[in-house]
Amino acid sequence: MYLLALAAVGFMAYGLIQRVRALLHAGKSTADIKLQIGRALWQTLAQLKAISHGGAAGWGHAIFFWCFLILTAGTTLVFIQADFTDLLFGYKFLKGGFYKIFSLALDLAGLAAILAMGGLFIRRYIFRPVGLASEPADALIHILLFLALATGFVVEGLRMAATELDMNMALAQWSPVGLVVAKVFHGMDMASLTMAHKITWWIHFLICLAFFIAIPLTKLRHIFYIPVNYALAPAGASGKLSTMALDDETAEKFGASQPADLLFKDLFDTAACVKCKRCQDQCPAHATGKPLSPMKLTQDIGAALASGVGSSLVEAVGEDAVWACVTCRACEAVCPAGVEHVRKIIEMRRGMALMEGRFPGDEVVRALDAIEVNGNPLGAALAARGDWAEGLALTGEGMEVLYFTGCYACYDRRNIKVARSFMTILGKLGVKAGTLGKKEKCCGEPARKMGNEYLYQTVAAENIESIHATGAKKIVTTCPHCFHTLANEYPDLGLDPQISVEHYTTFLAARMASFKPNGPIAPVTYHDSCYMGRYNGVFSQPRELLAAIGAPVTEMAKSRETSFCCGGGGGRILAEEKLGTRINAAKAAMAGDTGAAMVVSNCPFCLTMLEDGVKTGGLEEKMKPVDLAELLADRM
Amino acid sequence: MNILVCIKQVPDMETKFKINSAGDWIDEADTAFRMNEYDEFAVEEAVALKEKLGAGASLTVLSIGPERVKEAIKKALAMGADKGAHIQDDECFRKDTAQVASMIADYAKDKGFELIFTGLQSQDRGSAQVGPILAVKLGFNLVTTVVGFQYDAGAITARRELEGGLRAIVKTAAPAVITCQLGLNKPRYPTLPNIMKAKKKELAVIPAAQVAAGAAMVNTARAFHPERKGAGEMLQGDIAQVADRFVKIIREKTGLI
Repeated sequence: MYLLALAAVGFMAYGLIQRVRALLHAGKSTADIKLQIGRALWQTLAQLKAISHGGAAGWGHAIFFWCFLILTAGTTLVFIQADFTDLLFGYKFLKGGFYKIFSLALDLAGLAAILAMGGLFIRRYIFRPVGLASEPADALIHILLFLALATGFVVEGLRMAATELDMNMALAQWSPVGLVVAKVFHGMDMASLTMAHKITWWIHFLICLAFFIAIPLTKLRHIFYIPVNYALAPAGASGKLSTMALDDETAEKFGASQPADLLFKDLFDTAACVKCKRCQDQCPAHATGKPLSPMKLTQDIGAALASGVGSSLVEAVGEDAVWACVTCRACEAVCPAGVEHVRKIIEMRRGMALMEGRFPGDEVVRALDAIEVNGNPLGAALAARGDWAEGLALTGEGMEVLYFTGCYACYDRRNIKVARSFMTILGKLGVKAGTLGKKEKCCGEPARKMGNEYLYQTVAAENIESIHATGAKKIVTTCPHCFHTLANEYPDLGLDPQISVEHYTTFLAARMASFKPNGPIAPVTYHDSCYMGRYNGVFSQPRELLAAIGAPVTEMAKSRETSFCCGGGGGRILAEEKLGTRINAAKAAMAGDTGAAMVVSNCPFCLTMLEDGVKTGGLEEKMKPVDLAELLADRM
Repeated sequence: MNILVCIKQVPDMETKFKINSAGDWIDEADTAFRMNEYDEFAVEEAVALKEKLGAGASLTVLSIGPERVKEAIKKALAMGADKGAHIQDDECFRKDTAQVASMIADYAKDKGFELIFTGLQSQDRGSAQVGPILAVKLGFNLVTTVVGFQYDAGAITARRELEGGLRAIVKTAAPAVITCQLGLNKPRYPTLPNIMKAKKKELAVIPAAQVAAGAAMVNTARAFHPERKGAGEMLQGDIAQVADRFVKIIREKTGLI
């Protein structure tokens, strides 16, 4: 028996390790991995990611997990007592009051596990949620787990019929489910009970061994891989990209064109993915008919890896899928396995952009060229960058805040209004603000997300030099993309870490007392931009500011961590949307469904997209897109 | 085979142009510069041909102008040119088209170029003369306004764009000057390894005094913004009244009716 058990466990361990070892050798250097073991244990045991954004199925998984954990722990205790402490030292710890609680806990856990299994079975095979693909292995897993639990109860019932029923009812009460089963066998003679017990015990045992063997062969492997994946996930700012060493003269390759170019974690992700499709349900590109599913992308990379570390990633994933991503990270926010999709996409884009000069369209090339020549993607005159501030009091000397304006607020007519509103607010707050004027360039974020790390680092270096020259200690932006890039990415390129970078939302939230209502205001809905929300966790401050000025907020069907992107992230603001339907129209419709008279955002890309979406969606009469700063400026 | 591509760096056309203090050209302060768009087609065509010809071909990129034009040369090198030549001339904008062509011809005369590509015209001055004059000075064949180009062992087949949307196929032989028009190709986006390699490529600097420009035949007397014409006037309201008013304006301003 022990030989069999050992063989099964050995097979499982061998299978799991073999698979990972292949990954270890395939991916890039693993030297800089810092395992986050404590965090991983907590996330696993508390089932945090399974529950959040998982709905009933998430709870079903969590309940099943906890029950199975109790059953495994219980079985282990029985094993320790029977074959170790009792056998060698005659010591029994499963007795008395503890044993009663122990029996009850295991009994109830078994029952709850069967019920959870049943629920999950009904979901998968009766309700069949859209996008949830079922394979033969899924059916096998259901059968194995159900049989393991069911035969467990039969074994228990037979044992109780022989040893507790009629003899020790006081103890039998503590195993209510086992008691029900035992009553079925009531009246059988002792020899038959013993024989039946022996046979079902072996069946139960063999099913459990089959379960171990199935782990490395089916997606049950996630039991081990997901906790490891949690441990592998980097600490620190979420969604931060690696800053490439471009001056490395020995480097002949940049970005990822084949699985071998990806990080170990990125390859491990493909093993940890359980195809639960939560990411796909959240993906704005997928929702609007574009050929991108974060789940499929992960699987496709896994398939590319299986066909060889040198196979083409872009071919496996599809070039249109790679360019369709808006880097909103809604997929990552809901992934129970801790898969990071966006980094893989950026690495593939880097490969195409830096190694082949390949972009999704000529308009993107023109915008990148404009960033290079004019310092902004709109192609507007370099010297006109400061024109938006005409007539405003800007300080050079004694500047308290350096307002990094950003391209859209500098040049785009609609967003100039936002910049001027923000300056009005700063004026009323008595904050002396200055800008870089003509010296300011695009922060480089859209270029970077399109894979052009070289252009990003070029403009970033120029901006950093200009920022340092002002001696500013505090930077405030009105653009979440500028904010994320300056605050979380520029320090890699040498921005003085002593300089604090804030988006105006948090800067003004810290001055909440300055804002007050100026009369009734129509109901609004708030759109969480990806880069303030998911990337930087700023969810409550804008809502608190809206509350301070008396604006009643009606939330959209998707908000906060599952907010639906406007379509302008990931450099897509530079690109035409040629595939599927328009993301901004879907977003505007979602905002319109709240019945709000205004949709409030705090990002120039979002505002641009919402203005467009409201027009194309015929919502102009019903709902007006506004920036939070515009509302606040009149209410101080 | 030696190929030359001649490029010019021009101000970005979105610039808010100001006239310089001498009044003969633009003030370059706060101006963004880029490679002349037509010259990008020339570089792309030259690089594509060089790649097709293989190891025996060598492509030189030449530009005349102040220090800043090195940026344009580097871009051409990153696109695939083998070496750069910079005729350093801060006063280049005061030279007329014949002088510019003379300088190029003087540079090129003893280097055995068989093909010279350049843009149809520059985006800033737009004379479209440098290519043709250069061909005359060197005694090369000339094909202008090219939107299609084939080269086979010295034989050139080019597709030209004519007025009125017509096209013409012309055949000639090397040595030749080819001036490139929009539609010829899609210039490549330089890859990072090529940008890095370009930094190490040869870039010869030649003082303007070392190449013969000759005397100017055309001098720019004055550069200026065209005077603003009067603002348009919208006629609205009753159709009959609008028509009356329209007739009156036309009569007053033109005397045609």
